[in-house]
Amino acid sequence: MMDSTEWQLVGFTVWVSILSTLLILPFGLGISWLLARRQWPGKSLVETLISLPLVMPPVATGLILLKLLGRRGPFGGFLHEHFDVDIVFTWRGVLVALCVMSFPLFVLFARVAFEEVNPRLEQIARTLGAGNFRVFCTITLPLAARGIAGGMLLAFARALGEFGATIMVAGNIPGRTSTLSLAIFQSVQLGHDTHAFRLLGVSVALAFAAVWSSEWLLRRKARLK
Amino acid sequence: MAVTQKGTPKVKLLLQNVSLQLAPFSLEVSTELQGRITVLFGPSGAGKTSLLDLVAGLRRARSAFIQLDDRVLTDTAQGISVPARSRGIGYVPQDLALFPHLSVRRNLLYGSKAKREGNHALSFERVIDVLEIQPFVRRDVGELSGGERQRVALARALLASPRLLLLDEPLASLDASLKTRIIPYLARIRDEFGIPMIYVTHDRHELLALADEMVVLVNGKVVQAGPVRDVFNRPANLAVAGLLTVETVQPGRIVKVSDELVTVSVAEVLLTSAEQTLPANTLDVYVCIRAEDVILLKGGLSPSSARNRLSATIHSIAHEGTHMRVDLDCGFPLTAILTKQACEELALKPGNPVTALVKAPHIHLIPR
Repeated sequence: MMDSTEWQLVGFTVWVSILSTLLILPFGLGISWLLARRQWPGKSLVETLISLPLVMPPVATGLILLKLLGRRGPFGGFLHEHFDVDIVFTWRGVLVALCVMSFPLFVLFARVAFEEVNPRLEQIARTLGAGNFRVFCTITLPLAARGIAGGMLLAFARALGEFGATIMVAGNIPGRTSTLSLAIFQSVQLGHDTHAFRLLGVSVALAFAAVWSSEWLLRRKARLK
Repeated sequence: MAVTQKGTPKVKLLLQNVSLQLAPFSLEVSTELQGRITVLFGPSGAGKTSLLDLVAGLRRARSAFIQLDDRVLTDTAQGISVPARSRGIGYVPQDLALFPHLSVRRNLLYGSKAKREGNHALSFERVIDVLEIQPFVRRDVGELSGGERQRVALARALLASPRLLLLDEPLASLDASLKTRIIPYLARIRDEFGIPMIYVTHDRHELLALADEMVVLVNGKVVQAGPVRDVFNRPANLAVAGLLTVETVQPGRIVKVSDELVTVSVAEVLLTSAEQTLPANTLDVYVCIRAEDVILLKGGLSPSSARNRLSATIHSIAHEGTHMRVDLDCGFPLTAILTKQACEELALKPGNPVTALVKAPHIHLIPR
């Protein structure tokens, strides 16, 4: 059976993955909508920057984050000096790594979801007296909901399994920054196979639960409509 | 707002220097629309939908001045552009744009939250009563038939209490029998709710059934505008005549001009026209005769009040909607449209000799 440190490990991984998914949601929705519906200067540059973590080796992304967020880095130094907050080698480091790594996946999906909403529907809603905010909430968002939910699921899954960037930014400190993937890798390295298999089982169960619950949510949504 | 006898307020929509770059040409429109139902007529790709989009505020023009009654909606020179949601202009697009995730009822109520000054809101009950939506108001949009979707889209636009309704080929996707069933609903909207409409179509039957004014748009330019009868009886040029499907268009040469009548020769046949608007010294013309204006008599020539009595042979007979199209040879090809009953009573057959009558005012001449 699982011991208390293993429970802590699973709890932390799930919690930080959910938190990172929720954190990227508002920004991701905003950026995806801007990419799907508006033309603006620098759009292609932003597009490229966002997709970069998707194509770069995660470890390389992790290294960039480490340099930016470390105490001697531009952001990390500022936060340490003015707010006494450290990112690197803390749970915050894990969170940042997960956010950065899953953000492009979410935007990729949400953007397509927005693009697939017929702009004519939004225009006609406007002629019926609806302002931008109402159009977004009552037309665009509900019609893109499926794709957005899919994007959230993928972002969450990406966060659950993240390895390279996390280990660079947050290390693998048991009880503090260790996540499921890091712990599985470490157990195998140390020859603790039974431990590794138990964690593997948990990973499978989590993946199953995530996919199944999102399917269930979408089916329920389809029925309610 | 001017009010006609039937109580429908006339709208006055002023379009000045409206200019918009479209793919193969640019839209350049200056005109004034003031019918109860004004039809925007023209071939596909003439810029009709783009023009509606500009009026509704869904698209920005390179330059434009658009005024509805006494309210300026767009004035690029002054940097004025009233947003679509505040224009008070209802829009039923070609694909209807019903919200697929909302029920019929919630679709209908979407725009009724808008409070528009000066226009008393139409009651929900009255609109769904007039358009006979009650039977399916609780259904999902996906469960509606074509004609039902059409009425829901109309009702949704109406319930936002617009000052002006824009309809973009609202019947284009419906089959002929459904069309004839929906047209009366549009007439009811005109008569019962008094909301003026701009109606885009390239269907002549819809045009004749509904419109009182029309604007002919070809390649982004207004070719002709005015009351429907005038445009039909006097197409400004060959392009308009072709669009209105004036069936017979033949080259002719003027041989005599007397007091009020013009004698024109078409393939050696002499025709008399009451055309008044020809420039002086015009010799070569196109002779336009609408098929509806050709009357057929069985047998050879007999006296009649019509100026033009033509001895003809029936070339072919074909169904055209609810009517019969009879193609004749009277020295030049001439087409007549008859009801089925008339065709049966006269027992018309290809090869039969008939007399074709056309009154002088129905022979329209366009200089060539």
